Amino acid sequence: MSAAKSIFESFFSTQGFALFEYLDHGDFRLIGSWPGWCDALWGNLPAQNKQVRLGDVSPFLENFIFDAEEFWKSKSSGSANSGNWTERDAAAREIPLEASAYLLDGRRVLVVRNLSGTFDQQQEIFQTARDSLLVYEKLLREIQKKEILLHCIVHDLTQPLSAMNSVFHLLEREHLPAQLKKYVKTGERESQRQELMIRGILEAFSSDLAAQNSKQEKSGDSPDLAECAQRAVRDFDTPFSDHDIGLRFDPRVNKSQNWRVHGDSARIDRIFGNLLENAMRYSPKNTTVTVGVEDQGAFVLAFVDDQGPGLPKDQPEAQLFALFSKGKSHAGKAGLGLYFCKITVERWGGSIGAETRSQGGSRFWFRLPRATKAEIDHAPAESHAPAAPERHQEKSKPVKRLRILVADDADINRELIVELLEKRGHIAIGAADGRAAVAELEKHDFDVLLIDEEMPRMTGLEATQAIRQRETGTARHQIIIGISGHATEEDETRFREAGMDALLAKPVHMQKLYEVVESTAAPAVSAPLPQSAPAAQPSSESAPASTPPAPGTAIGSVVDHLRRSTGGNEKLMSSLTAILLSDAPKTLARIGRAIAQNNAADLRAAAHLLKGSLAIFGAAQAVELGRNLEIMGRDSNLREAPLDFRALENEFATLREELAPLVQKKKTPKPAPKPKSKAAVKRRKR
Amino acid sequence: MIQKKICMLGSSSVGKTSLVRRFIISIFDETYHTTIGVKVDKKAVKIGAEDVTMVMWDIHGEDVYQKMNMSYLRGMSGYLLVADGTRRQTLDDALALHERVVLEFGKVPSLLLLNKFDLADQWEIDPAQTSRLSAAGWNVLHTSAKTGERVEEAFLQLAKMTLSE
Repeated sequence: MSAAKSIFESFFSTQGFALFEYLDHGDFRLIGSWPGWCDALWGNLPAQNKQVRLGDVSPFLENFIFDAEEFWKSKSSGSANSGNWTERDAAAREIPLEASAYLLDGRRVLVVRNLSGTFDQQQEIFQTARDSLLVYEKLLREIQKKEILLHCIVHDLTQPLSAMNSVFHLLEREHLPAQLKKYVKTGERESQRQELMIRGILEAFSSDLAAQNSKQEKSGDSPDLAECAQRAVRDFDTPFSDHDIGLRFDPRVNKSQNWRVHGDSARIDRIFGNLLENAMRYSPKNTTVTVGVEDQGAFVLAFVDDQGPGLPKDQPEAQLFALFSKGKSHAGKAGLGLYFCKITVERWGGSIGAETRSQGGSRFWFRLPRATKAEIDHAPAESHAPAAPERHQEKSKPVKRLRILVADDADINRELIVELLEKRGHIAIGAADGRAAVAELEKHDFDVLLIDEEMPRMTGLEATQAIRQRETGTARHQIIIGISGHATEEDETRFREAGMDALLAKPVHMQKLYEVVESTAAPAVSAPLPQSAPAAQPSSESAPASTPPAPGTAIGSVVDHLRRSTGGNEKLMSSLTAILLSDAPKTLARIGRAIAQNNAADLRAAAHLLKGSLAIFGAAQAVELGRNLEIMGRDSNLREAPLDFRALENEFATLREELAPLVQKKKTPKPAPKPKSKAAVKRRKR
Repeated sequence: MIQKKICMLGSSSVGKTSLVRRFIISIFDETYHTTIGVKVDKKAVKIGAEDVTMVMWDIHGEDVYQKMNMSYLRGMSGYLLVADGTRRQTLDDALALHERVVLEFGKVPSLLLLNKFDLADQWEIDPAQTSRLSAAGWNVLHTSAKTGERVEEAFLQLAKMTLSE
């Protein structure tokens, strides 16, 4: 028995264990021999009864003895473990140790083990794991930094673009010579192109990130893919002509068939835009590009066929749609366009591809699932309105005049937004940052606060939080609309969570500005807009609000009606008439074209525009006909449209005769000076 | 001689072991060696007229691989809460850890060390945040185990605080 015990103790000793029996009050008795490493760590074993106070020699064990005592008292099976610790021996070497408490045959046993033999391996595993964790954290930080950088770049790029767009909108309202108007149009078109490119960059990255979270995005307005294709053909008609390339909508497509798909019209417009830009880049002169759609059962396929050289033989098809992929000729741009198409289509559960056609040229195609009945039923009413590039029909005048505070640190942007809002008939003043806006709101009431996201001193989000905090416990709710160059769905959620009511994307477009401001403020305001909006430079698109004429008002009364509307201002009457007589024939021609091309959306928009202009003159019959045509466009039922159009042309001819004497004999009427109080000027200079 | 148990607390790889090594043997090793468990070291210092043995418990950083055993802190006289100034998250983690310690042991003398100040150009904690911490009652020191900046000061200041408790 004694020999067996001795072998047992020797075994433990050689394996690096030191065994002790707990006596009480911190005293332990050594079982077996005192290993050399214990000697190096804690000195010689006191000879008396082999007893040692481990707590005195090791601070770690002093602490662990509390846990061990708890364990022994509990009389549990198993063991209590100390975890690893390291102490230095007399030679300053680190000795890794571990202690465990056991209850063996009623004896309280403490085992201390020297882990030197196995510790290196354990250390290596932890080291590798923690090194990897550090690398991972570093990578995450790098990605975050790049995202921030990207957003900063986009913000800086959209800032001047906002100003440019606003300037173009304002210039369009002026009576410029035809040549200058052409330049304005070109500038506007180019700034819109740049805007689309910037949005492409932003969406390509944010969509890519979002795609990691949700494989398939929720649908938008379930648009008609054939209508989108036709719209794309119209939008690109001029640039294609400029390049001597033909562009047509495939005449074989049955337009009356149901082509509605799962998706969103604005993004589909951009997909077509990207594919057409691509086709234009690679098509030789005097060839034709054909756009169309095909029925594929549960899917609708859209295609863009060109008569160019076909796909590059050495470039795999998948690579064409990769991020930053460019053709060998480098005729493309950043290589974002097709990548955007791919991620967008795939998020809607569709697919995209390209192939060389057997008859020559290439086909770029994408297919989308058909819209379900539920999607069509729940699609927004405006689902077929074109989204980009912006159309310039201004919405009918607002029914309320709003007091609007515009906070933007960029002076030019702020001034232009104020200007656009005042042209619309609202009262607008500016504030240079969030803090100034909050201070202004403390002094005066505003129906709407339009506030930029990124500003010095106090950002838009910080200002919103301050305003919401102030409203706590009251029934007040300030309408706050954020303005931001970051206008993805995630951004909108972020803004709403911060307490904002809506988000307006930068660069700011006139129509969108009016739409967002007026629709967001609609339920909250009560002050009626005066019959005749002050300060606005009148034009066919921005004429003062007017009471619609009662049905049956005689044509002969139009001059009287106009006199009442303008307060007898002869100059203004003359200007308004000149604009109507100049613009209405163009709008009529547009209505005629829309009917000829069976383009319901354009008919609706053009008829709406003309109806608004005619209402100012109290031309009841003409307004009624315009309204009929607008409804036909809305309902996509153009069967009766030619009859009403002819009647409208006749009405306008009569009207023209009636109004012609009002026009002063100036070729280009000077814009009426904008009435503005000194106080208003002062306010806007702040 | 008076003994004071001092614990080093904070996330992994913020430099706790390097700070202790700098304090005890005035050496800094560029290579990162992760700590498993606890490293116990001692250093005798003189605080005024008092000879004090500081028993340093350098406790492994908390992360997904290892959670800290709160029983290690039993009987401590004070602790240094360490964060890496180049990693903002480690400050948040340190402050969260501090909350747990206070909940378990009440108020114990402590200092907040924002370490790796030699990498100030990569700093993710701005002066405004430091001011806010100071305003909240934290005694904050910017340290560098690499250069030794304010390391000894931190340990001695804590030792002094433990004596006046």
